[in-house]
Amino acid sequence: MQIFKYKYLVGLCMVVISMTSCKKDVIATYDVNDVDIEDKSLIKDRSKSNKQFISILYTTLHQKAISSNQLIRTERVIESFGDKALINEVIVSNYMNSGNVVMPTDEEMRADLDSFVTDTYKLFFVRIPTEIEKAFFVNYIEANPNITPELVYTAFASSDEYQFY
Amino acid sequence: MKRRDFVKKAGLTAAGSVAFPYILPSGRLFAKTNAELADHVLYVLFAGGVRQQESVLQQYLSGSQNVDIGGNIMYNMLNGTPPDKKIVYGTTPANEPTGSLPIPQLLNTTIQSQGLLFPEVEAVNGGHYGGMTSLLTGNRSTAQGLKVRPNSPTIFEYLRRHRGFKASDVWFVGSGIGNSFPLLNSSGHENYGTEYGANFVAPSITFGNEGVEVLSDAKIYHPQEELEPIFKMREFLNNSFRIKNGEVQGIRNDEDEKAHIKKFIRETFIKKQTNGLAGPPVQGGGDLTTIAYAAEVMKYFKPKITVLNLGNVDGCHGNFSGYLRALHRADHGLGWLWNYIQTEIPEMAGKTIMLATPECGRNLNPNPIQDENDWYGYDHSGDANTRRVWSMMAGPNVPANMKVGSESNQIGKTTDNVLTIAEIFGIKDAVLGAGFMDGGTKSLFDRI
Repeated sequence: MQIFKYKYLVGLCMVVISMTSCKKDVIATYDVNDVDIEDKSLIKDRSKSNKQFISILYTTLHQKAISSNQLIRTERVIESFGDKALINEVIVSNYMNSGNVVMPTDEEMRADLDSFVTDTYKLFFVRIPTEIEKAFFVNYIEANPNITPELVYTAFASSDEYQFY
Repeated sequence: MKRRDFVKKAGLTAAGSVAFPYILPSGRLFAKTNAELADHVLYVLFAGGVRQQESVLQQYLSGSQNVDIGGNIMYNMLNGTPPDKKIVYGTTPANEPTGSLPIPQLLNTTIQSQGLLFPEVEAVNGGHYGGMTSLLTGNRSTAQGLKVRPNSPTIFEYLRRHRGFKASDVWFVGSGIGNSFPLLNSSGHENYGTEYGANFVAPSITFGNEGVEVLSDAKIYHPQEELEPIFKMREFLNNSFRIKNGEVQGIRNDEDEKAHIKKFIRETFIKKQTNGLAGPPVQGGGDLTTIAYAAEVMKYFKPKITVLNLGNVDGCHGNFSGYLRALHRADHGLGWLWNYIQTEIPEMAGKTIMLATPECGRNLNPNPIQDENDWYGYDHSGDANTRRVWSMMAGPNVPANMKVGSESNQIGKTTDNVLTIAEIFGIKDAVLGAGFMDGGTKSLFDRI
């Protein structure tokens, strides 16, 4: 008899708990826009192959596609050297010396630094710079009169981010 | 100090030195395990499959073409008199038969007399890539695939990790970029890998016509006014991107080393344009060109280790006469290089040990392909003759004029060379302890 009493009591408690514990979530709205806290354009986790790197680099700097012969020859030169970062820098420097690179003049760069920095990020990294990035480059170029577009382009072309897509 | 304190501190110091690895300023984890035997090593992966019969056994045509003419066509390296008939291995004077003028001997004392010869050594792998991988890793490399980095660490990685060498101390000068050779400058092993890899260069391409087009007009930026801002901006960009260490493929030199290497590239192009490159008396492309550029690398960087890969001999598949010429030229080039080190690079003269070993032999029986002299070619398809090669070593602390083993008494294997180099640089125990050496591998010094 005593056992039946406890059974009823436990059953009653279960019913009360199940009725009071499960409630539908109230979705709060705060009238704020959704914002991505991580810049997805920064997620580049695939390394460019030698062929991809050189054809993209050539197009970036010359604003036209590299010929297939030139692509193969350049790719072989990259393969012939162990330190890819180093040999890529030499290739960039070789292009810079050719006089065929399409880039703004020093005056054009300094006339509108904001646009130059944004355009350079778009050209090399296919994304717009963050405010911190833009501020760094604008301040750095303003503070250093000997910085030319060529030096900026060289820094971008030899950066880690440019090796990835 | 009280006796009790002294005993306690001495005990703690002893326990600490046993329990923790010895971390040196260079970042390496292990102290040297034996005394160094030389400051520099030149390690020659000698040609691309060499038969014992035409090299160390000095049989010339008698061991291959049923023509009873023997003789030594590698007389800078080996003791022995050259053939006196049917000379095809030399240079070609005007209006004379091809190869009829032997190249004069360069060394007064052969490398064999200067050092140690193992005339009968086991080649653990009968293919080019597998054979070269074995020569560089000390591992049999049976599960090694093509077009991938070696599975086991290379001698470059052992030396950089355990001996603390910089990237520019360690060079691999290759005969080309075929057969996955550029991948041999480091393994893909997770504890070693490209972080400890060697600088690789294939001079026939880097400084050949393609290199002239792509590299020779590179600017040298002013260190303070131009390079410094480039570094500063790039550092900012790299900090923003923050990739993990090792995600950028290939080996990396530090900025000082990079500047040094870029200067070398520029100066080498200038030397090439002005005919100022060093080189053996007989030119002619291929291995001799590779040897000439290896000399430039050694003169400029004084590397701790230079690995030189030659490959022209592989023409033996279809041109036996060309094979003899390639062997003769490789001997000429190596004799010249050894002399160049002793006379033109004072920092390395008398402080360099040279090792030379073919990566594999060639078959006992010929294939059906005949050359201009109706002589048959030889492949390397894995018969017992393919597994027969020789090893040679000369330099400080190497016994002179000594032969270990004979045709009927095989002593040594191609994997021994890695452990030998490890011993030369004082890290033999560390390399053995890493656990990748092929079973039974020994330092050649321990084979004596």
